[in-house]
Formats: sequence, C-alpha cells, structure tokens
Amino acid sequence: MTEFLLYPGCVASVRELGYEMATRAVLKRLGIGLRARDDFNCCMPACLVHSVDYVRGLALTARNLAIAEEEGLPLLTLCSSCYGNLSRARELLSKDKGLLKDVNAALGEVGKRYCGGAKVEHVVTALSRMYTEKELGELSTTPLKGLRAAPFYGCHLFLPSRYAGFDDPEFPKKLDRLIELTGAEAVDYHEKTSCCIGCGNFFGKVSDVAALRLAEAILDGVKASGADVVVATCPFCMMQLEVGQMKLKEEKGKEYGIPVIHYVDALGLSMGISPGDLGLDLRRLDVAPVLNKLGR
Amino acid sequence: MVSTSDLLSRLLDEKKLSFCQDCGSCTGSCPMARVLPGQYNPRRLLQRVSHGLPALLRDEELWLCAWCYRCTERCPQGIQPTEVFLLARNAAAGEGHIPANPTAVMRQIMRTGRSISVPDDFDEWREGYGLPPIGATINPKAINEQRRIFGEENLRRIGA
Repeated sequence: MTEFLLYPGCVASVRELGYEMATRAVLKRLGIGLRARDDFNCCMPACLVHSVDYVRGLALTARNLAIAEEEGLPLLTLCSSCYGNLSRARELLSKDKGLLKDVNAALGEVGKRYCGGAKVEHVVTALSRMYTEKELGELSTTPLKGLRAAPFYGCHLFLPSRYAGFDDPEFPKKLDRLIELTGAEAVDYHEKTSCCIGCGNFFGKVSDVAALRLAEAILDGVKASGADVVVATCPFCMMQLEVGQMKLKEEKGKEYGIPVIHYVDALGLSMGISPGDLGLDLRRLDVAPVLNKLGR
Repeated sequence: MVSTSDLLSRLLDEKKLSFCQDCGSCTGSCPMARVLPGQYNPRRLLQRVSHGLPALLRDEELWLCAWCYRCTERCPQGIQPTEVFLLARNAAAGEGHIPANPTAVMRQIMRTGRSISVPDDFDEWREGYGLPPIGATINPKAINEQRRIFGEENLRRIGA
C-alpha cells in the first residue's frame, strides 16, 4: 500500500477542515495510507522566522524534513505554501553543503540531523504523479458533466520552477487537465495563474487591502469567463477567494456568487463520494448551485 | 556557523546586483506592485539594497513581498530578488526593525508550533467531522525544540 507521512499544516488543519475531510475521503477510497505525527512545527513561511534569521529559519523548516527522513516516508502536504517552503529548504540544502552543515549545527542542538533524503509532495502533485491520465479518467465514475470550472493554480505548486517543478512556470496546464479528467470543463480566463497574497504576507491592514484588490481582479476574471465554480489547489487561495467575495459584497455591494472548491472535491464528486463526506457543507460560500447543476 | 552578514555579502554582492539590467521584469511580474502602485516596487527595492541599504532597513516596504517568486523565476540575470530581500530583512531584524504584525505571528508560532491559534476544545469540533485530534498545540517537546533551534537571541528579538 502506498503510504505518506501527513504534514497537516496550520491553515488546512485549523481553518479548512472541509478540505482535510475531502483529502482523507479521496485517499481512503484510493487505498493510500496516511501516517500521522504530533511534532511537526509550522513550515515557517519566508515572511516570518526566515526574515529574522536565514539559517535558523531554514533549520526550523528542515526540522520537519529530518522527521520525514526518520520515518522513511514522503511528506504529503495539503497546503501549497507548506509544499513551497518545505521544497525550498530541501532544494537549498541539497545544493549548498555549507548551508546543510550550518543547518545541522542548529538541528544538532536538539539531537536532530537532516541528511538530504526527504521527499515532499502536495496532494495535487502526488495524485498527478501516481496516476496516468487514463487511470484518473477511469476513477471518474460519475463525471461532472456540464460543470464549467475556473482553475486557480496558486503560486507554490509551479513557482519557482527550480524546486516547485510541477508544471510549466509561465503556462501551467496540469490543473486544467486534471479538472477535465473529472468530466468538468476547464474554462480559460486571464487571472488563473495570479497570486492570492494569502500565505506570503502578514502585514496587517496593508496586506488585507492588497489581497482584496487582487481577489476582486481574480473574481472579475472568473465571472467574465462564465464559470460555475473556482477549482483551487491550495487552502489559502480558497480562503482568500471566499473571504474576498464576502468582503466585496459588504464593502462594495458586489455579488459574485461563485463557490470555491478544491481539486480533491472535484475528484471526489466525480468518484461518487457524497458532498457530506467531502466536507462541502463546511465551505464559506454555499456550493448548492454546483451540486444542483450536477444533480447531486 | 556562517553568519548572516557572510550570507548577506554572498547574496548582496554589489557586483552581482550590478548585473541588474533595470528591465523591470520583477516589478512587472509582482502582484504586490500591481495592487499597491507607488507603495511597493521590487526594482526600486533592489536599487536601494545596493544604494541606500541603511535607510531601507527602517522602511516597511522591505516587508511587503508576498513570496510568490515570480521575480525570481523571471529575472533574466538570475538575481533572485526574493533571497536578496530575505537577507536584507535579516539585517533589518539585526538592528531591531521587525514590524509588529509578523512579530505577533512569530510569537504565536514559538508558543504553539502553529501560525494560527487553536481553541482548547477544537479537537471536539474536529471529532464531530470524523477528523483525528491535533491538540491545542503541537507536542510540547517539539515546541521546546523549535525554540532552542531558533535560539535565545532571536527569541529575544521577537519578544517570545
């Protein structure tokens, strides 16, 4: 049986329980096992401890890689930011032996050591690597016919290509393809590879203003495409695009009415998993229009 | 251990920064520059790193990057602005200039192991949805480990 070491992540395990439910339901159906640990620390986004101390910040991220190495299993992240931060540490430490030595000096203070052998996957990269298109298509026993989905890639699955490496850095296509394999139509629009400003910026008011302006541009793009739903890969993006709609309604009276789901929700629905088991009733915006269109 | 200033001199090497062609790919690619025109501009930040670092270290513009890595992906000279800004922030932190909001999130991480606070009864809520417990904090031994890895001096800097 394929098994991963679950890296729960702060946003997914605390703010996005519906997404965690969907991931667990889909992986269970696929016979993929998840091992748990209670001692992973935050992935340490670059804007936080790395900004204070480059080497010790990297050591804190690498502490998680050391645990994965101990367990001998690939890490599975739910959040694209976790995937990006862990992949960045893995890449930097595999290329710079001096940095690895410094990081291990810090890890050694608590009896840990990283030897460079950790593997990092995100739910979407893992599923896409494990299954062929034909196999993914065959999983879709109740295809999402007639659903027009707007892919929203999120940054850290494909940027920077040096270590994210999942897709083309300028014209990513894989999420479009994954969506099509669920039977839905992937619509094109000009903001599908934009940044949501969710995971990289904790500057309070300024960040909120910036994030809302970008959310508005992204949602205007989705609306113009005529999509029924946004399909994202990252819980932070989902949160930003849902909360963004709520705020834009309140502040500007703009009503989009576009539900936001994750790729695993789309996959799960196409596999015949019930909306309840996918945690879709926990979404901030009502997904009923999507389910009605699909006759679920 | 290599010091931050060694890393700084490695990445903020003036010769390397002089490779900048001033093409503006970084600013043209930047989501923050797009929505905060006049307020955030990575090309200008890079220029200030090589010509005016002392004043930049006290400026909040240094802390507005959202880490999407588009500039690093696209810079035709391979300058990696994201890494340069990170090291410039290290220098700012060394002088005691760490903005309040990131400080608050870092304190939260050092206290609980997570960037988001978790209510004491959260596991009951998770259980209601068939999800396994995660605890109000990560394993206390792991919290202690991360504090020791971050180190006394850094903990003092963020007041944690």
